[in-house]
Amino acid sequence: MKVLQGFDYRRGTSIVHKMDPRAKLVYLILFSSLAVYFLSPYLLIFLFLSSVPMVALARIGGKWSQSIKGSAYFIVIIFVINFAVNLIQQLPLVDALTLSIAMSFRFVVLISIFSSYFLTTSPEDLTQSMVQLKVPYDYALTFNMAMRFVPTLSKEAQIIMDAQKSRGLEMEKGSFIQKIRNYIPVLVPLIVSSFRRAELVADAMESRAFGATKKRTSLYTLRLGDVDYAFLCIVVTSFAALLVSSLLIGFR
Amino acid sequence: MIAFKGVSYSYLPGSTILDDVSLLIGDGELVAILGENGAGKTTLVKHINGLLKPSKGTVLINGKDTRESTVASTAKSVGLVFQNPDHQLFAETVEKELSFALTNFGFSPEESQERVNWAMREFSLEGYRERPPFMLSGGERKRLALASVLCYGPSIVILDEPTTGQDSGQKDRLATLLKKLNGEGKTVIIVTHDMEFVADFIPRTVLLSGGRVLADGATAEILARKELLDRASLVPPQLIDVCWSLGVQPSLQLDEVARNVERLVGGERH
Repeated sequence: MKVLQGFDYRRGTSIVHKMDPRAKLVYLILFSSLAVYFLSPYLLIFLFLSSVPMVALARIGGKWSQSIKGSAYFIVIIFVINFAVNLIQQLPLVDALTLSIAMSFRFVVLISIFSSYFLTTSPEDLTQSMVQLKVPYDYALTFNMAMRFVPTLSKEAQIIMDAQKSRGLEMEKGSFIQKIRNYIPVLVPLIVSSFRRAELVADAMESRAFGATKKRTSLYTLRLGDVDYAFLCIVVTSFAALLVSSLLIGFR
Repeated sequence: MIAFKGVSYSYLPGSTILDDVSLLIGDGELVAILGENGAGKTTLVKHINGLLKPSKGTVLINGKDTRESTVASTAKSVGLVFQNPDHQLFAETVEKELSFALTNFGFSPEESQERVNWAMREFSLEGYRERPPFMLSGGERKRLALASVLCYGPSIVILDEPTTGQDSGQKDRLATLLKKLNGEGKTVIIVTHDMEFVADFIPRTVLLSGGRVLADGATAEILARKELLDRASLVPPQLIDVCWSLGVQPSLQLDEVARNVERLVGGERH
């Protein structure tokens, strides 16, 4: 669950926090595409290092490193599965190893990029940037609310687990199938209360005239500033440079 | 016997929820735990059945350290009913909901049946045996949650905010039941904001504030101390308030207050 720490937005005053979320979104899309395109561990390490200055500027090192530590489990799984599959496909040992390391690094790079985006972008800004990018408001809001309720749900799951343990439920007891069944008393209340809450939220929104007019106005609109343009320049140029040189040399 | 010895607890380093709490609750006591929002009441009771283990100090239940036993084994003697019934109701029918804990603790089918019937009678749920718990009203769900813990007969019963959403008739029934359970020798602990409920029948009060025990003693004495209630953001029971306004000796006994008022006005009782 530590991974989720890396997506838990906290208000901040750094230059990265103040940047236009659309500029950061461009960075997110371009650099994660590169991470998916590259196969060499060296290039992926380079991508990883390139995300570090942003983390340092935003002073989110603590949560960012927690999200990477929290994903250690997945990293190991990705490595093992890739290595096994490569060996089965009878790749030479060195190639199999490099490729598996690269795949694990790809995951680290993606976690790093996504977590530095979500840690520095408030859910409201995210919604607003989606709206200004012409995503229909209903979809933008749904996305925003889904993100907003993740921590609430995880807190609630903990309370429910405590309540059922107090009635003698032992989650870790029994065979594999039994262990899965043990989650029913936790999942059912969690789902039911989510529906209850959804209904409540919907009622509360309608009481405040949600959907009353076709065209919504915004209190704040996002505007690209000098910093954003500079950042976009750096991002787009380095993306183009990396991609073009990789294509020219034929090394990825 | 419940013994807290210098218990401190924090979720995160630096944020102390309980701060050096020492507390003894003997067998068969009836105790209210009062305090402002965030005073640490729920955290305190979660230590009693071992859901939380102290960061510092020890919690002993009948002489056993909660650190050394599982929640399930402690829970058999400590029944904890959570505040929000929606956090525990999950079964298809009221009957199955009631038998959940009974099955977990390994009661025989005959005994389970008997206990389920008892709980349905005691909590006026008789007409609902085959109903899904989610279709019940808020008040009924609250009663079902209480029943689903009380039915396995734990010797220590802890209720977190049991009176919210209950009308006065149901509150009276609950008070009667708790007195009865207490009369049978069970330890009953109630976490609440409902001062009238506490004033009516609970002899001992533990007042928490900011994670510390602010006061521990006779309910009548604690609820009559304005400075304590103010510190814990609590409103006194109406009777105490009346006494304060009239400037007579505060008491939770209506007769006594009436006598004091008579003495004040110097008149005869009509």
